[in-house]
Amino acid sequence: MKRKVLSIVMAGIMILGLGACGSSSSTTSTSSAAASTAQSTSSASAASSASAADTSAAESTASSSTSIPAVDPNTNGAEEITLWHYFDSSADAKAIVEKCNEYNKLQSKVHITPTYVSRTELMNQYTIGAVSGELPDIGMVDSPDMESYISLGVFEDVTDELGSWDELSNFYAGPLSSCKDASGKLYGLPQNSNCLCLAVNMDLLNKAGITDVPKSMDDFKKAVEATTDSANSVFGYAMCAISTEEGTFQLLPWIVATHDGTKSSLSDLTNANCDPGLDMLGSFVKNGNMSSECVNWTQADAYNQFCAGKAALAEVGTWHMATMSKDVNGTFNYKICLLPTGDSGTSSSTIGGENFGICTGCKDKAACVEFLKWFMSADQEAKWAVLAGKLPVRSDAKPEYTYEQDAFATFQDEMNYALARGPHAQWPTISEQLYTAAQKVLLQGTSASDALAAAWTVISPILQESPLPQQ
Amino acid sequence: MKTQIRSRKDRECYPFILPAFIYLLVVVGYPIVYNFVLSFKNTNVKNLASGSSVFIGFQNYKELFTDPTFLLILRNTFIFTIACLAFQFTIGFLFALFFYKKFTFAGPIRGMILVSYMIPMSVTGLLGQNIFLNTGLINDLLSRIGITGPEWLTQTSTALIGVIIMNCWVGIPFNMLLLISGLSNVPQEVYESSSIDGATKVQQFFQITLPLMKDAIFAVLMLGFIYTFRAFDLMYIMTAGGPLNSTDVLATYSYTLSFTQYQFSKGSAVAVVLFLCLLIVGLFYLRLIVKGEEDT
Repeated sequence: MKRKVLSIVMAGIMILGLGACGSSSSTTSTSSAAASTAQSTSSASAASSASAADTSAAESTASSSTSIPAVDPNTNGAEEITLWHYFDSSADAKAIVEKCNEYNKLQSKVHITPTYVSRTELMNQYTIGAVSGELPDIGMVDSPDMESYISLGVFEDVTDELGSWDELSNFYAGPLSSCKDASGKLYGLPQNSNCLCLAVNMDLLNKAGITDVPKSMDDFKKAVEATTDSANSVFGYAMCAISTEEGTFQLLPWIVATHDGTKSSLSDLTNANCDPGLDMLGSFVKNGNMSSECVNWTQADAYNQFCAGKAALAEVGTWHMATMSKDVNGTFNYKICLLPTGDSGTSSSTIGGENFGICTGCKDKAACVEFLKWFMSADQEAKWAVLAGKLPVRSDAKPEYTYEQDAFATFQDEMNYALARGPHAQWPTISEQLYTAAQKVLLQGTSASDALAAAWTVISPILQESPLPQQ
Repeated sequence: MKTQIRSRKDRECYPFILPAFIYLLVVVGYPIVYNFVLSFKNTNVKNLASGSSVFIGFQNYKELFTDPTFLLILRNTFIFTIACLAFQFTIGFLFALFFYKKFTFAGPIRGMILVSYMIPMSVTGLLGQNIFLNTGLINDLLSRIGITGPEWLTQTSTALIGVIIMNCWVGIPFNMLLLISGLSNVPQEVYESSSIDGATKVQQFFQITLPLMKDAIFAVLMLGFIYTFRAFDLMYIMTAGGPLNSTDVLATYSYTLSFTQYQFSKGSAVAVVLFLCLLIVGLFYLRLIVKGEEDT
């Protein structure tokens, strides 16, 4: 009898346990825009310290707002168009709600309702939605992922609606190509662009006896070594090398760089010019110039290390400019320069950015196209770039940044040397091979040539079947 | 006559279990069967939308079992499960024996130990991430006694240990709770009579406690195995399976293949391997229950 009771109790516990786990794993982190409006950013002081010569102009930054505005819930009988996004920093999360509210007031036909969904969850929802058909009307996606989702059938072909738009020629070719499939059909529009540059703590650099920002990989190596201060837990360099797309984003410039006058490319990872950057990063970890924790750091973590004064140099993105002045808070002077990944005077970077696509099964394709045309017009692009700390995707959009003007000019310059990831339907597999190779170099001391050769055995057949577009 | 009555009674019961049966068939049975079917196809990012995937037999399984990454992950899963089970059970049993004693504050302390079990796994993962930083709590404590701690979560040799420690922290109270309920089923008279016969505490433990708790111990180990083998959230939050797959387990790898790499069929094949491992353990557990009922 006791055994019976015990068995029943145990079985009950098992069911409860399994049930509890099931519910937790199936819970989505989707939250409505209304909920996201409850988020508030910390009150930002307007100006940075006067002592920070390079940042003194940053009197009014994109982050000087205090809270995310509420989405107007009243549709006034207009057709509701759902828009899912993963903008989660104070600047862009605020900007997307403001823009949707602005558009809703401009016309009465449709009501755009933006909903924040965490990036990971949004990607899962797209994948599931590809089968179940439960998708929003308009969806945001990271540019290198767009081709995969086009292949999965998440986005609808809008070539007929947008292909003849006379303003399409004003979009930069790189970002626009990420909205197309291999046959050139268009599935949405790019919304913003960004790339990577080097942030330099000038106080630490000067203290180490170096007066100017590094302009070549050799200069950079010397600067990192000279600024490392183990006694005060200050690393010379911080970057993100995590095993996700974020890691690939930051590692790529060190693989595709110019050495001895020749630029390497992803089309041949066995080229010896792909190795010096990765080998140098490996030596940084080995010699204590860079924390091995970079393999677990997101880009935000690496940026925080820099702002806290725990890293003298760091790889940062355009979007960080919206908050850098506030986060550094005048504790040191900083400068933004081109990523010195190769020979003197050369640089390489990675293009990032978000696209908006019209999802399959969208309830009013024409209305969604009209919204995208307005949202990505030259005027709105310029305003967005200033509001959210991004770069426009159109050549005729002229943002008038009121903060970090020098830094944005540098980022704009860096775009000339920045590489787009893909577009390629199997980019996630290529990306996985790249960050895995880099982690082998950083953690196991494997030579870059061996690690990249191993990655190439997987990447090569993929590229033979479907090559990366020429850049 | 007796058999006829029983058979009629059985038939009368069928309509009552039908709703539950249909529910299980749709919610549990269908996804499992669909997953099995998917694992024998070549569904991926290129053919999901067109529906042009085809059956490729055991190709996905062949590729998995010749892939060093999968073999490493299979090894990780077993090491993680067995290590967690061993530590959770041993320490949980010691706690159960200790807190079964009636002393002042035994109840409140037992309750406090349960706190770690009540914390959501995602929070535990974030705690673990901070505790095992190179300059985190563990290494800080070690440095105070003159030991330089390892770079826990950034070295392939130590990352899994960090995850195992955090999982044990959660699992020990669970084991303790179940084993205490098992201990309460052991009659006190047996201990009293053995004391009169001169049995020592150690003899009582090995000759009375362990044999009489056999069923409870098996149940705890089986449940622990099932619960630990399919762990996902802890490593997903704490290390994302890295560095270099050193903390990847079958559940996280299946998720990565399906939702990051869009290799849906291969992800399903990994899930099938996970399912089969658990099915074997589950059948073993069910057999024990049935055998126990027959003995009774």
